[in-house]
Amino acid sequence: MSEKVTLFHWEPNANSGKPMLALAEKGVDFESHYLDLLNFDQHKPDYLKINPQGTIPAMVHGDKVLTESTAIMEYADNAFDGPPLMPRDARDRWRVRWWMKFMDQWLGPSFSMIGWSIFVGPSVRARDPQELEAAIDRIPLPERRTAWRKAIYNLFSEEELAESNRRIGVGITMLEEALSKRAWLASDQYSLADVNGFNLGYALPLSQPDLANDEKTPHIMEWLRKIYERPATRHIWSMGRTPMVARVKILERGVQS
Amino acid sequence: MSLTLYHGEPNGPSLTVLAALYESGLDADLVAIDLAKGERHSTAERNREVEMSIEGEGPVLVADGEPMADSVFLAQYLDEASGGSLQPTDPYARWEMEMWCRFIIERVAPAASLLGNRAHLTPKLQAISDEEFETLVGAIASADLAARWRKERAGDYPEAQVEDSREKIRLAVQRLEGRIDGDWILGAFTIADLESYAWLAGMVAIVPDAFVEAPKTRAWLARVNARDSVQQALARSPTGDPLHAWAPGPEINRWG
Repeated sequence: MSEKVTLFHWEPNANSGKPMLALAEKGVDFESHYLDLLNFDQHKPDYLKINPQGTIPAMVHGDKVLTESTAIMEYADNAFDGPPLMPRDARDRWRVRWWMKFMDQWLGPSFSMIGWSIFVGPSVRARDPQELEAAIDRIPLPERRTAWRKAIYNLFSEEELAESNRRIGVGITMLEEALSKRAWLASDQYSLADVNGFNLGYALPLSQPDLANDEKTPHIMEWLRKIYERPATRHIWSMGRTPMVARVKILERGVQS
Repeated sequence: MSLTLYHGEPNGPSLTVLAALYESGLDADLVAIDLAKGERHSTAERNREVEMSIEGEGPVLVADGEPMADSVFLAQYLDEASGGSLQPTDPYARWEMEMWCRFIIERVAPAASLLGNRAHLTPKLQAISDEEFETLVGAIASADLAARWRKERAGDYPEAQVEDSREKIRLAVQRLEGRIDGDWILGAFTIADLESYAWLAGMVAIVPDAFVEAPKTRAWLARVNARDSVQQALARSPTGDPLHAWAPGPEINRWG
């Protein structure tokens, strides 16, 4: 398949970083379209022509438009040559899928609720209120409108934030346990589960220094460092445009001990 | 390969996996458990992935000693372990199947689960003693799943949430009506048909208006129901009334 690949993405982080890193691991050249999430680029008419749902990332391959970061990664693994990012064994494949769903739907939303309450919300809150309301009104999906409203006006309840923090603690314990059993998260082969997990957790030693560190979670730390040392990861994290990407430097060996 | 499947009544996730097993032609020891009595947390084999599965009360498949959960992924496992054809090989068609299954898992299943449990599980849980209920919930490792059991027992569902769930079922049927391509959802018969049927079959009685102007969906429901694998799965029902069997499912999206 030699048709052109275009990826619409934000920073190498969370959902945008997943297909970026998967494509780099596969050795697929893609045209990069950077959308500034904090400037609501993803809800502007030009992009809505490509993905009417206004979510990022999206990938265009030939005449096909693909959305949803994990599903895009699976598509990329199936559609392109290059090293396989899904194991061959059916049970290993089950484990890769289990972990991706767990991270996408249970652990990830907890990280993002905290991230949105302390970073995304404050980053945009200072703008003109009318402009912000208009920006919210342009969001196509009602559930994304709710999420943005909560982030912008800091409407997360104590209870919700406490539950997210609880889940982050449980998730870190589970990651450490899984990584002590196998070479990589879901199998003995580097897979989409690791690509997914790195995007979720690369900044853990910074954001959760008491829970994720060399003493308490040595397997998580080694796993993150090994992924950070891969050429594909170096390449993709060099594509970041905001200070956010610098957080990955915590994974340089010797920085945290 | 040795397989044991701990399954509930053939409704929801247990139906998907039982039918996928019969489609695969693989042999498995079948162990019927009562999900509404919490037997997944007492009788079934468990590990962290089973305990923390965010599908809630689904079946457990043990393959060569490893317990596994999550119905769509179990169906994919059975299909791949048997060299079956329940998943498209074309990458784009495969993406469409995965997106459809995610739609069912993330949007439809939580809504169907709320409505099904409200109608059928709440009365059962209210009929047991506090002590018996505490023993049941005390065996559940996942705190958020245990909290969902408590909510189902209290049975206090805000009307807005109930109506929102009905609306999600109506929208799902509308989407299905527009999507069914020939006999099946995506042209060929896939796991998307099993997963969609498993969550929607019980909704015909609970949200009947959703199906009134959906002739293609009604015909599709009858076609899925008539498949050998589905008939064999339904024959595993201990009560003969699987559509009334519900247990806490996936949570409703915490972001609203």
